[in-house]
Amino acid sequence: MAPTPNQEPDRAPYPPHSRERVNPLRTVGDASATDEVRGARVVLGDGGRGPFKLLPQSRRKRSAKRDRHARTRVAFFRYSYYDIAFKFFVEHVLDADFVALPKPTRRTIELGSRHSSDMVCAPFKHILGDYIEALELGADVLVQFAGPCRLGYYGELQESILRDLGYEFEMLNFATVTGKPLTEYISICKKKVNPNVSVPHGVRNMLAVFKMIECLDEVNDLYLANAGFEAEPGSFERAREAYFADMREATCERDIAEAQRRGLDALRALPTRKPARPVRVGIVGEYFTAADPASNLDLERKLLALGVELHRSLTMTNRNLRYNERNLRASIADYVAYDMGPTSSLTIASALRYAQEGFDGVVHVKSSGCTPEVDCVPVLQRIGRDTGMPLLYLSYDSQTSDTGLDTRLEAFYDMLAMKKEHAKK
Amino acid sequence: MGSPGFPTKATHEGVRRIGMPRALLFHRYGPLWTTFFEALGREVVLSEPTDKGTVERGDALSNDECCLASKVYLGHVASLLDANACDAVFVPSIANVGLHRGFCTKFQALPDLVANTFADERVRVLSCLVNEREEKTGMKEALLGVAAQLGAGSREAKRAWKAAAHAQTQAERFAAAQQMRALTTLDRAREAARDGEAAACDAHAARDAGRTDGMRGAGNASGTGGTTSAGGADDAGRTSGTSGTDSANRGTGARRPNGAADTGGAGPRMAAAVNARAADRAASERATVATPGTQPQRTAPEAPLGILLAAHPYVAHDPYLGGTLVDLLEGMGAIVLFTDETDRKRALQASFGFSSTLPWVVNRELVGSLMLLHEHVDGIALVSAFPCGPDSMTDDAIVRCIQGKPILNLTIDAQSGTAGLETRVESFVDILRYQGKGGYVHGADA
Repeated sequence: MAPTPNQEPDRAPYPPHSRERVNPLRTVGDASATDEVRGARVVLGDGGRGPFKLLPQSRRKRSAKRDRHARTRVAFFRYSYYDIAFKFFVEHVLDADFVALPKPTRRTIELGSRHSSDMVCAPFKHILGDYIEALELGADVLVQFAGPCRLGYYGELQESILRDLGYEFEMLNFATVTGKPLTEYISICKKKVNPNVSVPHGVRNMLAVFKMIECLDEVNDLYLANAGFEAEPGSFERAREAYFADMREATCERDIAEAQRRGLDALRALPTRKPARPVRVGIVGEYFTAADPASNLDLERKLLALGVELHRSLTMTNRNLRYNERNLRASIADYVAYDMGPTSSLTIASALRYAQEGFDGVVHVKSSGCTPEVDCVPVLQRIGRDTGMPLLYLSYDSQTSDTGLDTRLEAFYDMLAMKKEHAKK
Repeated sequence: MGSPGFPTKATHEGVRRIGMPRALLFHRYGPLWTTFFEALGREVVLSEPTDKGTVERGDALSNDECCLASKVYLGHVASLLDANACDAVFVPSIANVGLHRGFCTKFQALPDLVANTFADERVRVLSCLVNEREEKTGMKEALLGVAAQLGAGSREAKRAWKAAAHAQTQAERFAAAQQMRALTTLDRAREAARDGEAAACDAHAARDAGRTDGMRGAGNASGTGGTTSAGGADDAGRTSGTSGTDSANRGTGARRPNGAADTGGAGPRMAAAVNARAADRAASERATVATPGTQPQRTAPEAPLGILLAAHPYVAHDPYLGGTLVDLLEGMGAIVLFTDETDRKRALQASFGFSSTLPWVVNRELVGSLMLLHEHVDGIALVSAFPCGPDSMTDDAIVRCIQGKPILNLTIDAQSGTAGLETRVESFVDILRYQGKGGYVHGADA
C-alpha cells in the first residue's frame, strides 16, 4: 500500500509528489536548497510507487514509533580524512547524529595511553583517546570495526576499559557480527543506533559512502603527487581543506559528484613547479598508522615539504573497496606464498610495484610491534636487496616529539636525491 | 592448491627427512605432525630443545620487534639447516580453525618468514595452509595436501592422518589426565592440611575453631603445639608408603564429617566433578603423583600452593622460556598446573562466557582454562613472551575481569639472568602463603 498524504502530516510543507513523501529519512529545514536536488534524483519511483511499494506497508506504525526514540549521537574514531565518509554514513545510512571530533591534541594520545596496556599497538591508544574525547562531547554510541589481527579484539577491550572508567554508552562493535549474514549487521545497527533504520535507503546511501571514499582518496592521491611542488606555499593544503569542507556538506550522490568535480578542478588549476624527474617516494605500511597523519606525526606533510612526489597505495579504496587478496598475492608470488595478515600483501605488492616503476625510495610505516607488518620487513628487505631501492622503516608508538623523525626523513631524502643526481651523470 | 582437473604435483617427492623446529605450535600439534610424517614413512628430525645458543641465533636472524617465541623459532630452523640433517623443514601457515578460533598472524606468515630469512641458504620449506574460515581447509585437509606433495597416495595419507589424529587425541587426553591428577594431589594435600588443622582445633579451645571458620585451607594461626603434632601425624601418613597414602586418605575422608563442622564451608570448594573423575583412576596413579607433591619438607601441615601457569604452550613447555619459571615454582613446593593441559574443548567452550570476540584460539583456551581452574588454585602466573601481540590485549582483559585470585604477570624476554625472575616469583609465593594464612594482619607469622 502506498501512503496517502494525510498519513504523514509532518511532511506537509513539501509538494505532494516530492521525494519526501516516500523517504523516511530526516529532512531538516532549508527546502529551497535541497528541493531541486531531491526532485532531480527521483528516478526509481514517483508518488510512492516504484520499488518502495514492495516494502511492508506499515508506514503509519513506523512514523508513530519514530516519535518515541530520541536521536542517538554516534561517534567514530579519528582516521585521517575519512571522518567525512563516517559522517555521511552516520547521517544518511544510520540516520543518526554524528559527533564530529576536533583535531587531536597531545591530550588525546595521553588519555589513550594512560588507560591502555603498554604493549598494545599504538592505534589502540589513539582510538581509546578518541573515544574518551567523543564521550566527553556527548556521544551515545561508539563504532568499532573488525579486522583479522588484533583489531578484531579492539572493540571489546576498549568497551571494557571505558566501562571500568565509568562511562556509559553503547558500542556498535562490528566484530560481534563478523562472519554472519548481512541481516545481522542491520539488526545490530537497529538495536544500538536507530530502530527505524531504512534498509533501502541505507543500502543506497551506503553505495554513496563507497563512492565518497573513492572520491576522497582520488583527491588525496592528486594532492600527494603534486603538493610537493606547489608554486605558492600552502596552496594545495588550502585547496584540499576547502574540498574536504565541501564534501562534508554533501547530502547525496549528486552533491558528492559536484564537490568532487570542484575539488579536482581547484587542485588541478594550482600552479606547480615540478621538475622533469622529481624524487618519487612511496608510502606503504600498516592500515592505521600509514594513513593517519595524527598517528604518523604528519609524515606526508614533512615529506612533501622536502619536495618529493608521494604515492600511497594504502587507502580505504585500495584496501577495502577494490581489494582482491589472491590477485594481489599473485603479483608477489616470487616473495611470498601465503596471506600474512591484514595489510601485508598490499604492503609487499605496493613496495614491489614502486620498485618496478622506478621509484627512488619507499617508506614503510607501522605501529610498534604490529606483528603482520613486522613479518613483512624481511620480505621488504629482500625486495630492497633485489631491486636496489632504498627503504626507510618507521615504527611509531605513542610518542609526540617529531624531531627524530625530521632528522631521519631529511637524511633519507638527501640520500635519495644524491643517488638520483649520481645516476644522472 | 593444484589447478583444477590436474592431480596435485608431488613437488617434494624426494624428501625423506623432514625437519621439525621444536618451537611455537610444535608444542601444540607436535604428536599430530610427528606421527603423520612417520606414518608416511618419513624420518622426522626434531631440533634440539631451546638453549641460550638457539635464542641468540634466532635473535640475530630476526627483526628487533618480533616476539621472543618467534625469534626462538628461527633459531631452531637455523640449527636444523646448518646440521644439514633434513631435506626440508615443515613450516605450516596456520590462519584459523574456524570463526573466532584464529591464530596470531605470526603463524600465518611463518613459511614466508622462514623462506625470506633463509633465502640465501635456499631452504626447502614444506608447507600447507590451514584456514577453515575462508578456504575451508582444516588441519586434516592441509596435511593430506602435504602428503600429496610428498608423493603419498590418498589412501596412505588418510591412514597416516588417522594415526596422527589418534596420537594427538591420546597426547591431549594424557595431558588432561595429568592435570586432573595434579588437581587431586592438590585437593588431597589441602584436605590433609585442613584435617590436621581440624585435629589441632579439637585439641584446643573452641575459640580457635571459631577463628578458623571461613578461613582458607590452612589457617594454622593457632598455637604451635597443635601444629607440630598435626604435622607429625601428617608426615607419618606420608612416609608410610604408597598404600599408606591411600589408607590415610580414606581415613581423612572418614574423619571429615566432624572436621567439616569445625572448618565451616571449606568442603564445597573442591570440585566435585573433577575429583570424582580423578578418583576413578587407578591407585598406582595416585601414588606416583602424590609423591612429588609431598616432597618439600615442611614442619607445618601446610598444603602446597597450586599455581596455574597461564601461558601459551610454546612458552610454558619450552625449557628455556618457561622452564626456568616452572623449576623455580616447583622448587618452592608449589604444584604447577598448565592452562594448555586442560581439556581443550571444554576450555574453548568456557571462553565464550568470557568474551565473544576474542579472535585467538590459543588465548581462548588459556582464558577458558583460567575460568575452569580458577577456584582450584591459589594463584595465577600469567606469562607471555616479549612482545606478544595477542597477550598484550588478552592479559589486560584477564587482569580486568578475572578477579579474586592473585595474578603475577610476567613477561619473558631474551635476558639470560634469572635473578629478577627469582625475586618476583619468591615474593609472589610469599604473598600467596601469607594469604593462605589469613593475610599479613592476622598474625600469620606466629
